[in-house]
Amino acid sequence: MIMPLLQGLKITFSHMFKKTITLQYPHERPNIPPGFRGLHALNVSHDKAKCVACYLCPTVCPAKCITVEAGEDANHDKYAAKYEIDMLRCIFCGYCVEACPVDAIRMTDTFELANMKRADFVFTKETLLEKK
Amino acid sequence: MVNLTIDDKQVTVPKDATIYDAAKAAGIRIPILCHDKKLHPFGGCRMCLVEVEQMKGRQIPACTTPVTEGMIVRTSTPDIIQARKMVLELLLLKHPIDCPVCDAAGDCDLQNLTYEYKVNANRFTDEKFQHKIDYENPLIERDMNRCIHCGKCARICDEIVSYGAYSFLNRGLEAKIGTEFDGPLNCEFCGSCVSVCPVGALLSRPFKFKARWWALSKTKTVCSYCGTGCQLTLGIKDGKVLTTIYDENQGFHNGQLCTRGRWGYQFVNSDKRLTTPLIRKNGKLVQASWEEALSAVKERLFSAKTAGGESAACLVTPRLTNEELFVLKKLFNVALGSQNIDHSAGYAHNALSAGALESLGYAASPSTIADIQKTNLLLVVKSDAYETHPVLGFEINLGVKRKGVDLRVVSDKRGKLSRLPDATTYVHKPGSEVLLFNAMARVIIGENLVDAGASSISGLAELKNSLQGYAPEKVAEACGMSADEIIVLARDYAKAEKALIMLPLGLGYPGHGKDLAQALINLALLTGKIGKEGCGVLIMGEKNNSQGAVDMGVYPAKGGKDAVAILDGCAAGTVKTLYVVGENPVVSYPNRKAVEAALDKVEFLIVQDLFLTETAEKAHVVLPACSFAEKDGTFTSVGKVIQRVNRAIAPVGLSRSDFEILNALYAACANTQPYADVAAVFAEISENVPAYKGISYAGLGENGVIWPAGGTPRFVPAEGGAVQGESGKYALLTGSALNHCGTLSRFGEGPMYVCPAGYAELSYTDASALKVKNDDLLTLKSASGEVRLKAKVSARMPQGVIFAPYHFGEESVNTLTTGAPVTWVNVSK
Repeated sequence: MIMPLLQGLKITFSHMFKKTITLQYPHERPNIPPGFRGLHALNVSHDKAKCVACYLCPTVCPAKCITVEAGEDANHDKYAAKYEIDMLRCIFCGYCVEACPVDAIRMTDTFELANMKRADFVFTKETLLEKK
Repeated sequence: MVNLTIDDKQVTVPKDATIYDAAKAAGIRIPILCHDKKLHPFGGCRMCLVEVEQMKGRQIPACTTPVTEGMIVRTSTPDIIQARKMVLELLLLKHPIDCPVCDAAGDCDLQNLTYEYKVNANRFTDEKFQHKIDYENPLIERDMNRCIHCGKCARICDEIVSYGAYSFLNRGLEAKIGTEFDGPLNCEFCGSCVSVCPVGALLSRPFKFKARWWALSKTKTVCSYCGTGCQLTLGIKDGKVLTTIYDENQGFHNGQLCTRGRWGYQFVNSDKRLTTPLIRKNGKLVQASWEEALSAVKERLFSAKTAGGESAACLVTPRLTNEELFVLKKLFNVALGSQNIDHSAGYAHNALSAGALESLGYAASPSTIADIQKTNLLLVVKSDAYETHPVLGFEINLGVKRKGVDLRVVSDKRGKLSRLPDATTYVHKPGSEVLLFNAMARVIIGENLVDAGASSISGLAELKNSLQGYAPEKVAEACGMSADEIIVLARDYAKAEKALIMLPLGLGYPGHGKDLAQALINLALLTGKIGKEGCGVLIMGEKNNSQGAVDMGVYPAKGGKDAVAILDGCAAGTVKTLYVVGENPVVSYPNRKAVEAALDKVEFLIVQDLFLTETAEKAHVVLPACSFAEKDGTFTSVGKVIQRVNRAIAPVGLSRSDFEILNALYAACANTQPYADVAAVFAEISENVPAYKGISYAGLGENGVIWPAGGTPRFVPAEGGAVQGESGKYALLTGSALNHCGTLSRFGEGPMYVCPAGYAELSYTDASALKVKNDDLLTLKSASGEVRLKAKVSARMPQGVIFAPYHFGEESVNTLTTGAPVTWVNVSK
């Protein structure tokens, strides 16, 4: 009867001398491991989004949270006139990054996505581009 | 039949089949890039290489090798797969890998095969092509860097369209598909090249970057422009019709479409569509609710009903479905008690509803579209048959080029059909068709070429009597042809084993009415050319459901007013309520001034249309209707084919389908239950319309049903007089432009890019006499009005004749015309 109790307390006491796992968030910030899938970012090259609006990310997206509309620029090239991700639907699976043939989208370590209004969860092209 | 073995499967195929056809029949797929079932074998891409045991294991192309008895074929040995991989590697050497931005991705034969054969690396390297991309053309984008030299575009343009816009330029490594002198593309813009291009070298510009192939949902339906009845696959995304999709297994035409069918779909989701009902208040049309609009209409129709119905009249477009036309006719005939209902200005359906009905016993063509390629001699009345029904024009091209059909074009001007190999064009004076065909009948009787069966047809004696005055020598002068030409044509026609006559109808052709149809039917009856395969008369209704409108009896009977009388009645005040469904008489009926005056005068004008047309602007109530893409129903096209129309998208805005509107009005006015759905109306049609007996809505299937025609033919003499010319004046002929059909195609962007406004086409001689060049403004003045049109100088027009298309609202030619076959106009700069 007493032995199991002592064994339990032994585990408890041994943890008192180990390094803590919990973080005093938000005062302490976590170390985000590589490969973490946070908020998306649209990569930029030559001051332009690399995205060519090939529609592979909305096609592969299992949550159907990406909306792309293609446009034709002055050089007759294809670009994303509209690129929106609905973060309330996103399941952060990263398939969009895998599907992208031109390395135009990546996932950042931003995980703090809480917001006050539903509309604010729809990230537009401009907001996705800002984080370089 | 030939027996052979393909991949251990026994196959029996006709002896003219190739190995590719035989494999297809056995369900074995051989990969192809340059082969198309509609085109002659080419053997350019080497993807279809197979091994034939008898040929000592040599690799030979399946698409060009005819089958022989006992052949043993292997289609996928390791050697063949290696060879095919190499073909793909070599193609990918030059082909840019820009699949992410290429609209063909997903529907690209090269992409699919590369994936299938797992060609993910290339042993070779080379520079890509650096050809200039044609971004200027509004319809077809040509990126020759992506071209794989299959030659399909050049071949389809030559073999089926007979235009020849493309050809291979240069040799060897520098070879490319190019246009005349490598200049801009300036063709008919039928888009056949885009439809067959296996890669993204030729793309639809209006659809560019709009959606990816796999995101489109596809709905099969029937085109809503001309009466040919081409099947159409619409590509839809987010409730919008974004493009038309090529399906080579669709319809008699194998998916082949004309310029309007392919590019004219934009009217469906046009910004100009009416989205709410409009009611005139204080002289202005303002938005209203459906309740308000419908109650205003109902109130008006009730009062017309109590007054006996005679004060109400209806002009309807034959673009509606059979079911809608049937309910509309019931609304007027049964619910309101009015017989005043007509369509197509009265004259554009006369050839069927009066001519064929009297002469054949049924109001339809005795022939079908399939007869075009089965005949020996094709007599086409007016080269315009190509412009009014372009896909039937392709059938003519194929008949002439592949089947050796002897083409005779009897026309008041030359046209594209005149340029076909060995085609003979007889250019006659405008308006002398009946005279000419009566003279032919007279020759046939005079030379005893009459078929033995003709004597049993009643009316032969009267016909002979009536033809006394039509000796070729006498009428030759008035026809503008020599007597010999008429005699030769008559002899050839009578002696041909099989001969088919094609007669296009339309609002632009007031001369193509009852008499002309009867003169032609007389010719066919005299020579025993009715009721046989490849023979007869094909009367080509102008609009998608022209034949259906006649079948439904949407023309005045029992003393009802016809279109002309209805408009006269409006002007005189006897017609107090006019219900215009889809028609645009202000632009398309003759004598614009008179039509406008009549519509201004009528007490209450209801217009139900897709757009605020020139006619709708005069209305008291405008009801927004749906396009063909938003409704179910049936169309009956040329050759009596009843086909299903399938709803592809939800109604635009608050618009309602004509069926929904008319069903509600009918139920209210007749005080009965409305029809449950379209199928219920079709069931009633098959009970009430004898020709549709036994045909069920569900039984129409994908390819539709040809309703059987049967009747007792008789000879009805056709009266034709010479058209008296007026000295110093030009003969104005109206008609259809290739890119347009009626007044609807004006709301599609595609047709408007190519043909944005009306023009007056005249000969070089007249142009130099008037000192005008292309695009100079000409003033045309007739007894009824005056318009200014751009000149278009062309080699096809005879001297003294001017052609103008009738589709356009601004400077519309119906300002000049009054419904006569030929309008005499003064022309000045």
